[in-house]
Amino acid sequence: MIQLINTLLIGITAGSIYALMAIAIVLVWRSTRVINFAQAGMALLSTYFGYEAMVHLSSFWIALPVAMIGGAAVAAFIELVFMRFLLKRSAHGAISGVAPIIATLGLLGVIRALTSAIWGGQDVRIVGPVSNVGYSLGANTLAFSPLKLLILVTVIVLVFLLSLLFQKSNIGLSLRASAFSPEIARLSGIRVDGVRTLGWSLAGASGAVAGMFQTVNGNGSFSPDSIEFSLLLVSGFIAAVIGGLDSLIGAVIGGLVLGLVISFVLMYINSSLFFIAPFVILLIVLFIRPQGIIGAKAARRA
Amino acid sequence: MHRFQKFNNLLLFIAFGFILFLLSNRVDELRVYQGASIAVYVIAISSIILLTGYSGQVSLGHGALLAIGAYSAAVMRNEFNVPIVLCLFIAVLAAAIGGVLLGSAAARLSGPYLAGVTLALAIGLPSLANQFSILGGEQGLIFDVGFPPLRLGEDFTQYKWFFWISSLAALISMWFLSNILRSRYGRNWRAGRSNEVAAQLAGINTGRSKILAFTISAGIAGLAGALLSMTIGTVSPSAFPLALSFSLLTGAVLSGVTTLSGVMIGAVTLVAIPEIADVIANRIGASERITTNLPGLMVSTLLIITVLFVPNGPVEQLRSGKAKKLVRKRIKSLPKPSMEGKI
Amino acid sequence: MNRRKLITVSAVLAVASLAVTAVPAQAAEVGVSSTEIKLGMTLPMTGTASPGYSKIPAAVKAYFDYVNANGGINGRKLTLVVKDDQYVPTQAVAKTNELILKDKVMALLAPLGTANNKAVASVVNPGRRGIPVLFVNTGFSGFADKKKYPTTFSVLPSYIMEAKIMSEYIKDNFDGKKLGLIYQDDDFGDDALAGFKQAGINFAVKVPYASGSQSGTTAAGWVQKLQAGGAEVVILFGVSSATAAALGTAAVMKYAPQWILGSVGGDATTIKAAGVPAGVLYNAVGASFAPATTDTNDEYVKLFQDIYLKANPTQTFDNNVMIGMNSAFLTAQAIQAAGKNPTRKSLIAAIEKSGSTFASAALVPLNYSTTSHIGYNGYWFGKYSPTGDLKPAGGVYTVYTTDSGDGAVVKSTYKRPAMPAKGLPN
Repeated sequence: MIQLINTLLIGITAGSIYALMAIAIVLVWRSTRVINFAQAGMALLSTYFGYEAMVHLSSFWIALPVAMIGGAAVAAFIELVFMRFLLKRSAHGAISGVAPIIATLGLLGVIRALTSAIWGGQDVRIVGPVSNVGYSLGANTLAFSPLKLLILVTVIVLVFLLSLLFQKSNIGLSLRASAFSPEIARLSGIRVDGVRTLGWSLAGASGAVAGMFQTVNGNGSFSPDSIEFSLLLVSGFIAAVIGGLDSLIGAVIGGLVLGLVISFVLMYINSSLFFIAPFVILLIVLFIRPQGIIGAKAARRA
Repeated sequence: MHRFQKFNNLLLFIAFGFILFLLSNRVDELRVYQGASIAVYVIAISSIILLTGYSGQVSLGHGALLAIGAYSAAVMRNEFNVPIVLCLFIAVLAAAIGGVLLGSAAARLSGPYLAGVTLALAIGLPSLANQFSILGGEQGLIFDVGFPPLRLGEDFTQYKWFFWISSLAALISMWFLSNILRSRYGRNWRAGRSNEVAAQLAGINTGRSKILAFTISAGIAGLAGALLSMTIGTVSPSAFPLALSFSLLTGAVLSGVTTLSGVMIGAVTLVAIPEIADVIANRIGASERITTNLPGLMVSTLLIITVLFVPNGPVEQLRSGKAKKLVRKRIKSLPKPSMEGKI
Repeated sequence: MNRRKLITVSAVLAVASLAVTAVPAQAAEVGVSSTEIKLGMTLPMTGTASPGYSKIPAAVKAYFDYVNANGGINGRKLTLVVKDDQYVPTQAVAKTNELILKDKVMALLAPLGTANNKAVASVVNPGRRGIPVLFVNTGFSGFADKKKYPTTFSVLPSYIMEAKIMSEYIKDNFDGKKLGLIYQDDDFGDDALAGFKQAGINFAVKVPYASGSQSGTTAAGWVQKLQAGGAEVVILFGVSSATAAALGTAAVMKYAPQWILGSVGGDATTIKAAGVPAGVLYNAVGASFAPATTDTNDEYVKLFQDIYLKANPTQTFDNNVMIGMNSAFLTAQAIQAAGKNPTRKSLIAAIEKSGSTFASAALVPLNYSTTSHIGYNGYWFGKYSPTGDLKPAGGVYTVYTTDSGDGAVVKSTYKRPAMPAKGLPN
C-alpha cells in the first residue's frame, strides 16, 4: 500500500516538472509554429546559470530567478537572431517544412557540446533549499518531502500565473494570431515580433524552472549525459504532444500522465524500461486521438 | 530510361567497384577501415534521401531502423550460425518490416508529429534490448563476421574484408536506389511530396506510396545497421544513440537531401569530422572534455549552417545556380521592350 | 554538370581522400622509438560512469613523469595516450582501433570495463595481433584465460574471488540476515553472481541495473525493491556512480541497511564527491587489496601520494589514484624486464617470467607465470570511518586469498617486501 502511495507521489512530482517543459514547448509552438527540440538544452544551460549563481551566492532562492532570467534571455536571443533568419530563408525547398525542426536539433547538439565542454569536468551539484528527506507516516517514510512540496506548489503557482496572463490579457490570442497569420495580425495592431519574442522568453523561463527542479529532485547532480536530462528532453516533447500541442492545460495534463506512467514503470516493472514507456504512450495517444487529449480537431497541415 | 543508359549506369558502378578494389590493396589499415565506415554511411544516408528528399517524410530516428537491422543480423549469426550474406538479407527484411509498421503509423501523421514519433522511437527502441536476454542487454552482442577466406591470402586483414563487403553492399544498394528513384515509384514519391492533393487527383495512392517509401528506406537502413555493427564488431543499445540519427540527418542535409548524387559528400564529411576534430584538439592542446565534445559540436554546427544557407544541399545549389545563370543570360539576350507610346 | 559527372566527381573525391595517406615505413617495434615508449589507455573520462575513474590517467602520468625524470627506462621515456570511451563498448572498440592504427602504441595499459575489454578482445583482437594488454582495469575472471586472451594480463583480483571472500565475511558476521544485491546487468555483474553462487550465498532481493541507467531517479526504484524485500544487508556491486546513487537515494528514503561496498565502486572520495554524506558511509563494509589511502605510515602510500600531489596539487589522493599508480609501477618494471630493446613479445615474456617478483604496493602477491596471467588474488575487509574513509577492521590488515574456481578462502601469510629505492624499478 505504501509503495502505491509513494509511486503516485513520485509520479505527480516528476509529472509537474515535465508539465513545465511541456508548457515551454507549447508556448514556442503557439508563437512560431516550430517545435523547439532545443528546449531541453536551453533548460540545461539555464540550470548551469543557476549553478553558477549557487556557487557564488550560495542561495537557491537567488539561483532560481537567475536561472529563469538567464533562460528567458537565451531564448529571446535565439528567437531574435536565429529563428527569424531561419524562417525567412527556409520558406521553400524540399525540407522547408522540417528545416526549423532540423535547425533546432542542431542547436540542441551545439548547446550540449558547449555545456559539456565548459562545465563537464566539474562535479556540478545543486542542493535544494529544503530537505528532500520524506515525511514520516507512522513507521513508513513517504516519498514526499518538503522539497517535493515546494516543487508542486511552485508549479501550481506558475501555471496559475500563466493562465491568468493568457486570460486577462490578449497575449494568448496574439500569440496564436502571430503564428497563423502574421500579416493580418500586424494589420490588427499586434506587435507580432514582440509577441513572438515574449512567447519564447516565457518558454525559456519555464524550461529553466523545470531544469532546476529536475536537478534538485534527483540527487542534485546533472550533466548533458545524465538520465535526468534525457528524461526532460523526451518527456517535455511527448507531454506536449499528448496534451495537444496548442493548450497549456493539455500540457499540464500530458506532463502528469507521463510522470505517473514513468513512475509506475520504474517502481513496479523495470528501471531499464522507462525510456520505452513514453514512446508507447505517445503512439497510443496519437493513434486514438491524433490531435492530442485537448487538441482541436484542426486540419493537419504538412 | 533507355536500356543503353541503364547499361551505362551499371558499367559505371562496376568500374567504380574495380577502382575501390585496386585501392584497398595500396592503402594502410586505418584508411581501409575508414573506407568501410564511409561505405556504411553512404548506404544509411541514401536511405534518408529516399525517405525525406523524395517522399517528403521526415525521420529523426533512423538510428532505430539501423538498430533493427543490426540486431537481426547479430541474432541470426549468433543463434543459428547463418552465413553472412544471408544475415544481411535478413537484416534488410527485418528492418523493412519495421518500416512497414512505422510507415503505416506515420501515414496519418505529418510534420512535427511524425518527427516526434520517430524521435521517441530512436530513443526508446534500442533500450528494448535490455528486456530480452537474447539481445544481450546493455552490453550487447558480439557480431563476428569471421575472418576473410584463406584463399585471399595470409595478409588479407579483417579490415580489408570489411571494406570489401561494405563497398560491395554500397554499390549494389546505390545502383538499386538510383534505378528505383528514376522509376515510376520515384516520380510518385516526388509528386506526393510536392502536393499531396494534386497527386491524389492524378490517381496516385499517396498513402501506399508513402508506406512503400518507408519500407524501402527502412530496409536499406537495416542493411547499413548490420554493416555498421560488422565494422564495430558489437551490437548494443549504446551503438545507436540519438547522436547517430542526428549525424545521419546531418549527412543527408549536407549531401543535399533531394538528390542521390551528393551522397559521398555527406558520408566522407561524417567520417572526416572526428579526424579533423582530433587534429584541432591536439593542435590547441585541448582538455579531455573539449576533445570528446568537439566532433559533436562540429556536426551540429555544420547541420545548422547547412540548413540555414544551403538547405537543398550543394548539388542542388549548384544546379539551381547554373539554371539561374542560364535564365539571366537568356533574358539579357532578349530585345529591349520599346517605351514608345507608353506613359 | 550532369548527374553522372557529379557521381564520378564525388567518387573520385572519396577515392582520392583514401589514397592520399602515405603508408609509413616500418618501425623497429611499434610504439618503441629510441627515445620513448608509447602506451595507450581507454577508459570513461566523461559520461555517467566516469566519476572517480577519470582521475586514473593523471595518476599514471604522474608516476611515468617521475620515472622519466629519473632517467626513464633504459633511456626511454614512458608516454601515455588516453582515449575517452565513455564506458561504452562500441566506443572502446573505436578508440582502441585509433590507439593501435593511428597512435601506434606499443601496448594497451589498464583499459577499463569488463564489457569494453571483451568487445575489444573479440573485435580488435589484440591477442591475434600480438599486442600486449597490460593490467586490465577490470576483475572479470575470464581475462585470466591464457588461451582465449593470450596477450592479456589481469591485475585486479577477479570478481569471483571478491564475491567468495565477501561471502566468507558475511557468513562470519551477518549469518542469518536477509541479503540484498545491486549489480550491473552485464558480464561484470554476472561474474559476481557466479562467485556468490559458488560460495552458496542466497539473496532475498536481487536488483540489476543496466549500465548507464544509474541516477537518482532510477535508484529510487532499486531502493523501493530492496525495502519491499526486507533486505537487512545489501551488497553494492556496481560502479562508483551507481553506488553513490543508491546510497544517496536510500538516505533520502530513510532506508539504512548494513551496506557492503564492492571494490569497483567503493572509493570513498568519489562517493562523497557525489554528495553522499560521510555519515551514510559510516560503518559500511568495504574491501581493498592495497593499503588504505589514509595509512600515511605505509611507504608506498607516502611515496605515491607525494608524487601525485606534486603533479596535481588541487586533487585528492584516493584509491583509484593509488591503484593506477601501482599499475604504472608494475608497467615500468615490466618494460625494464623486457630488455634493452623491448618488443611486444619480450614484454609479454618478461611479465610471465618475472612478474611474480615485481615490487608492488599491494598486500597480496602477484601470480604471473608462463601458465598464469592472474595478478592479485585476495582482499582485506574493513569499515568506513565516521569521516567516510575505509580502514581495516581492528587496525590490522587481515588478508584472505582464494582463486576463481572452487578453491577455499584462506588467510594469507604474504609479507610485502620492502619498496625498492625511491619507488623506481631497479
